[in-house]
Amino acid sequence: MLDRRSFLTAVLAVSASVSARPLLAAPAPDAGAFILGLAESAMNTVAIKDLSDAERSNRFRNLFVDTFDLPEISRFVLGRYWRSASEAQRTEFQKLFEDIQVYTWTRRFKEYNGETLELGTVKAEGEDFIVDSQMKRAKLAPINVSWRVRRSGETFHILDIIVEGASMAITFRSDYSAVLSSQGGKMDGLLDVMRKKAEQIKLG
Amino acid sequence: MPRPVALRFVASVFAVALVAGCATPPPADDKEAMAEWEQVNDPLEPMNRTIFEFNQAVDKALLKPVAQGYRWAVPQFGRDRVRDFVRNLRAPVVFVNDVLQGEPDRAMQTLMRFAFNTGFGIGGLIDVAEPGGIPYHDEDFGQTFAVWGMGEGPYLVLPILGPSNARDGVGLATEWLSDPFNLYMDNIGQDWAIWTRAGVAGLEKRERLLDTLDEIERSSLDYYSALRSTYRQNRTAEIKNQLDAEGKR
Repeated sequence: MLDRRSFLTAVLAVSASVSARPLLAAPAPDAGAFILGLAESAMNTVAIKDLSDAERSNRFRNLFVDTFDLPEISRFVLGRYWRSASEAQRTEFQKLFEDIQVYTWTRRFKEYNGETLELGTVKAEGEDFIVDSQMKRAKLAPINVSWRVRRSGETFHILDIIVEGASMAITFRSDYSAVLSSQGGKMDGLLDVMRKKAEQIKLG
Repeated sequence: MPRPVALRFVASVFAVALVAGCATPPPADDKEAMAEWEQVNDPLEPMNRTIFEFNQAVDKALLKPVAQGYRWAVPQFGRDRVRDFVRNLRAPVVFVNDVLQGEPDRAMQTLMRFAFNTGFGIGGLIDVAEPGGIPYHDEDFGQTFAVWGMGEGPYLVLPILGPSNARDGVGLATEWLSDPFNLYMDNIGQDWAIWTRAGVAGLEKRERLLDTLDEIERSSLDYYSALRSTYRQNRTAEIKNQLDAEGKR
């Protein structure tokens, strides 16, 4: 497992330093601190140079499983198909979905090039918080990234990432339901396609 | 001659639509399938997918390699000059759309930018306004129509130009026919300038999207659907000016 304690320490350290900034004082200072802490933790554990692909994947997987609400995201992405899926199919879906995300993100972190995350405003939306941020890149235009997070006990879980106005959850939902309908609405058909995808983008 | 070409282009799109036919909607009693169908908003999907495959082939064989070559051969400084020049050339269209959307402050920004960049920025080659505190923003007729309350209409994949919809397609044609630079060049019979400008703008845009599109293709199961969803969401945010620095509160 990822070093959960050092991650929490990082979050706490960042939240202590951030809470002094008036920008975040209003609705939920800790939701913003959670995102900053996550970014910092990813920079320090996943994005560092000279890691083997397997090691980088493992590190990211631990971070990912801890900070994303995978069951909730899976339910949203599958929509009505979630309800008709068997328990085994749901488990298999979550596993493959996790694999695909892990391989995609591992590659992104492998190509990490000094980008930094700058926090914007945090607003409450129902029971969730939307944390606005900008990813600053060297010599390239910054990218607008918003995070939908939900409180979960002492910490938060991420439900969605919105990049330049496009929600990843909605995009996945659209993508996966298109595959499902081309497979005649059969979960096993989707799982086959996902298995091939995971194999194809696996690093190393 | 931009007018007849644009008209022929639009006509050919609809000719293909007739040949390829429409997607079959789900049975009306399946409420969830029906909601999904409406949400996806792609009744012309078979035609769109055909054009998408064509675009993909052209992109792989020509557009993407050229964009990669451009990125490889021209240093960042040069590419920034191209981007600034192309953007400045579009300023009159952005200005008109700022006005049509009832955004006097943004219209004034665009006007000032155009004046500074054309004057002090060597005909628009250097964006001197941005570091001077007047940031760039984009607008187009599709966004203006949306602000006026027009719906997006069915999703459309345009040949070469890619993801669009009925409203944005009309917006694109409006821009092509009303752009002052294009009108002027057409008037003095220098059509090559119109096409060169369109080509350079397209190249600049493809280069900018190299990583984004690769990323969407790599992380999706069905690239067509993922791109459709991304385009529609991104447009919605653009229409609300949520992505501009000053649009974010």
